[in-house]
Amino acid sequence: MKRDQRMADLKQEIQDHLQEEIDDNLSRGMSPEESRRAALIKFGSVTRVTEATREVWGFAWLDRLLADLQYALRMLRKTPGFTVVAVLSLALGIGANTAVFSVVYSALLQPLPFRDASRLMVLNERTPNVGIISVAYPDFFDWHAQSHSFSDMAALQPVAFNLSGLTEPEFLNGLAVSPNFLAMLGIRPASGRDFELDEEKPGTAPVVMLSYALWQRRYGADSGVVGKTVLLDGRPFTIVGVLPADFLAPGKTDLLIPLGVWTTNNSAEVHERSDRGDMIVVGRLADGVSQTRATSELQGIAARLAMEYRATNDRVGAVVQPIRDALVGQVRPALLLLLGAVILVLLIACANVANLLLVRGAGRADEMALRIALGATRARIFAQILTESLVLSSLGGLIGFGVAFAGVRALGRLIPAALQHDGGVALNVPVLVFSAGVVVIAALLFGITPALHANRNDLQSALKEGRRCSGAGARHSRTRNILATAEAALAVVLLVGAGLMVKSLYRLVQVDPGFRPDRVLTMTLSLRPDRYSTDAAVRNFWDQVLQRVRELPGVESAAVATNAPMTGNHDRLDITIEGMVPLRPGDYPHPDLHLVSPGYVQTLGIDLLRGRSFTADDNEQASPVAMINQRLANQWFRNEDPVGKRFMFGHPIAKEQSQWLTIVGVVADTKLYGLANQSRLEVYVPFRQIFTAHQMDLLVRSRIDPSALTSGLRGAVYSVDSNQSIAAVATMKELVSNSIATPRMLLLLLGLFGVLAVVLAAVGIYGVIAYSVAQRTREIGIRMALGARRSHVFGMVIGQGVKLAVAGIAIGIPAALGLARLMSSLLYQVSTADAETSSAVVMLVLLVAVAASFVPARRATTVEPMEALR
Amino acid sequence: MSTRSHRSRVELLQGTLDLLILRTLLLGPAHGHAIVKAIEFRSDEVLLVEQGSLYPALHRLLKRQWITAEEGTSENNRRAKYYRLTAKGRRQLQRETSKWDTLAGAIARVLRPVTGESD
Repeated sequence: MKRDQRMADLKQEIQDHLQEEIDDNLSRGMSPEESRRAALIKFGSVTRVTEATREVWGFAWLDRLLADLQYALRMLRKTPGFTVVAVLSLALGIGANTAVFSVVYSALLQPLPFRDASRLMVLNERTPNVGIISVAYPDFFDWHAQSHSFSDMAALQPVAFNLSGLTEPEFLNGLAVSPNFLAMLGIRPASGRDFELDEEKPGTAPVVMLSYALWQRRYGADSGVVGKTVLLDGRPFTIVGVLPADFLAPGKTDLLIPLGVWTTNNSAEVHERSDRGDMIVVGRLADGVSQTRATSELQGIAARLAMEYRATNDRVGAVVQPIRDALVGQVRPALLLLLGAVILVLLIACANVANLLLVRGAGRADEMALRIALGATRARIFAQILTESLVLSSLGGLIGFGVAFAGVRALGRLIPAALQHDGGVALNVPVLVFSAGVVVIAALLFGITPALHANRNDLQSALKEGRRCSGAGARHSRTRNILATAEAALAVVLLVGAGLMVKSLYRLVQVDPGFRPDRVLTMTLSLRPDRYSTDAAVRNFWDQVLQRVRELPGVESAAVATNAPMTGNHDRLDITIEGMVPLRPGDYPHPDLHLVSPGYVQTLGIDLLRGRSFTADDNEQASPVAMINQRLANQWFRNEDPVGKRFMFGHPIAKEQSQWLTIVGVVADTKLYGLANQSRLEVYVPFRQIFTAHQMDLLVRSRIDPSALTSGLRGAVYSVDSNQSIAAVATMKELVSNSIATPRMLLLLLGLFGVLAVVLAAVGIYGVIAYSVAQRTREIGIRMALGARRSHVFGMVIGQGVKLAVAGIAIGIPAALGLARLMSSLLYQVSTADAETSSAVVMLVLLVAVAASFVPARRATTVEPMEALR
Repeated sequence: MSTRSHRSRVELLQGTLDLLILRTLLLGPAHGHAIVKAIEFRSDEVLLVEQGSLYPALHRLLKRQWITAEEGTSENNRRAKYYRLTAKGRRQLQRETSKWDTLAGAIARVLRPVTGESD
């Protein structure tokens, strides 16, 4: 307002000044006409004076910016077709970048809620046979005592409890931890106290720390909860504290207990080096110690332990990885691949918009020339065109942000649940800053070339020649060809990536899991040791549940088993086959073990290859039997029939103590750990022999939709024990499909980006060809007047499009082959240099180029020679 | 064409316009047109001022508070904005004038050596 007033004053003053001068001139006898002219000449350019005066006031740049913005919006409104195409291309490019970056940020960049998290390492043991395995508790003690690379070290052991005494029984997951665990991470309980150091010793009083979520859910955020007792597996635990809300742990963590409480409950096993629970160790690197140095020290200690405790530690090494790697796991390469893909999409979108701007810029050459003639500086023109670019890009950014908002939830499923703190992936401030940056960079990327071109226009010739093609026009078309070629090349790269994913996923879907997952429902039951303290009671419970379940309508067959496929659970033991030559302790076969009820093979639909499966007669009274899988048979019973042979668990011991199991059947390999993973050695033992399991999966094959059985199954379980909790209800099909969720998601997104890229490239090629045809109307007219046939003209135009595509392919294919190597870890049984994929992409891009040139080519053939030449 | 056009005219050095405006206003408040006329007249019309360039200069001086502006009426009985020298502007003029004298003297000595010496 104030500025407007000032401006009006200035204009008035200038008018007054001119009037004075005119009056003077009139009094000197000039004609009114001449007086006015002379006054204006003497004054100079009113516009420039106003401008210069405004500069003195300051904020001139703001005025200029506002004027440029208004002008830009007006220009964009005048060419709605251009604006819509440009803004949509940018929206897709920027939106995809924002969405993917938000996931990358929360998985890979967001600071972990631990003090100095980059110094925290996850420590595991490792054998050449199996790979990374959990840590034996005694080994942890030796690491802790002997290493100097770590200022602190804590062990974590997953535990599970049935929570009772409140409302519905609930199955809780938690961690038994060294008492220094929280302090090492720099975490303080939200309320109550931390664990005390002597709570690592066996025999300590049962205490528990609740997760924030459990405290809210089961105790209504009662502030007086500390000091109360809670019944876990029927035993009273004193609540000593509540964890903070942002506490982050691998997997679902409802509670923490000190390791001492866990060792008290499991005193028999935990001090055996041979017995690994699922323990992992977290350590904080000492000041100035690198991960490499810590690793080599730890491996040295492991090597000494392997010598000292040969029977249990032979070939057992140690690995050290940063805590973020351990939490992020396999998704890092997938996320980086996606980030690369969306950057390519953005580049294509930018090339496309630059191309459109160039076409439009050619139409505006006169406008620019006129502005320069009227005194606009080249810098001013440059700024104005960049402002237009920025407006386009910001509009794209706004819409893109909407796209990202819609897509981000779905994308969030890519990253492990452990990292989804604060309600998962979100569009937060760093993401906003990132997309603002992308908006600006995109504007520069696609705006610079047209802005430079607008300025390079030769004033004289532009004004003189008007709309005719000039030297600048030729330069324009060269730039446009380069841009269209670049788009095609980038699209080729994306398509090859997408194509490899398609093939990989196709291979994965074709993988035989070794069982028939359709119509199978699974759920996990975990018995309270206090209520089921004898083997007989436990086995009786499983039998009763099976009996009730089998009576339900719709149930075809049912079984209980430990470590069902795709559940992620596992038990592995060394076995000794009767008559085998004694081996190094680390070289014994180490199969996965399943305790199963009769009916397991039928329920899961696993092929029985030899012998028989278990029956109700394989019980405590009968002599122990087992089934093995084909891989074990092939590897350890070469050229022999394993049925009738015997093996035992563990390493050879005195004959009279050996408990041999007779192999009665051989079954097909099952994919225990997801479709992409190698099958392993497996042995099956009847659940009534040798071992007893408190936790088993109930598997039911139904005649109908398996999820419809859920409530009936719950009822059957409760009818045996109304206090029994039920967890992890899922259909086997879901579990199988979840095991390839990442490649499926990757395929979906890469495919989407690939399609986007092709469409954008097609638009780019179309634009270039159509414009060139429009410009060459005269030339085409002459050619036709000189006798060129229409089919020839048609072919010439199509050829021009194909040439662009061929150039793009020539650049894109080598680039794709190079880049695809980066995604080799994400592919399943597909070579990164897959010839089929490359040739399919080449065909597709050529086809698209022909299709994109088709319409302009048709238009070229309709040129009337006489009209074009007139 | 008048005879004036035969005389050589000099374009103003950067910054000297400010000095001339301040000097003109020393004689009393004046409006824009009068200031230009005074500069032309007092320099025997040797100094060429593009009249429009006066205004950015005036606003620069206003911003530095060397002059103030007020409403008034011109000789032709028209509403006009009058500019008046402030105390601050007066001091500035003194400083600039002595600086200018020193500079002009120095340039004159360099350009015209004493004639007696060359004989």
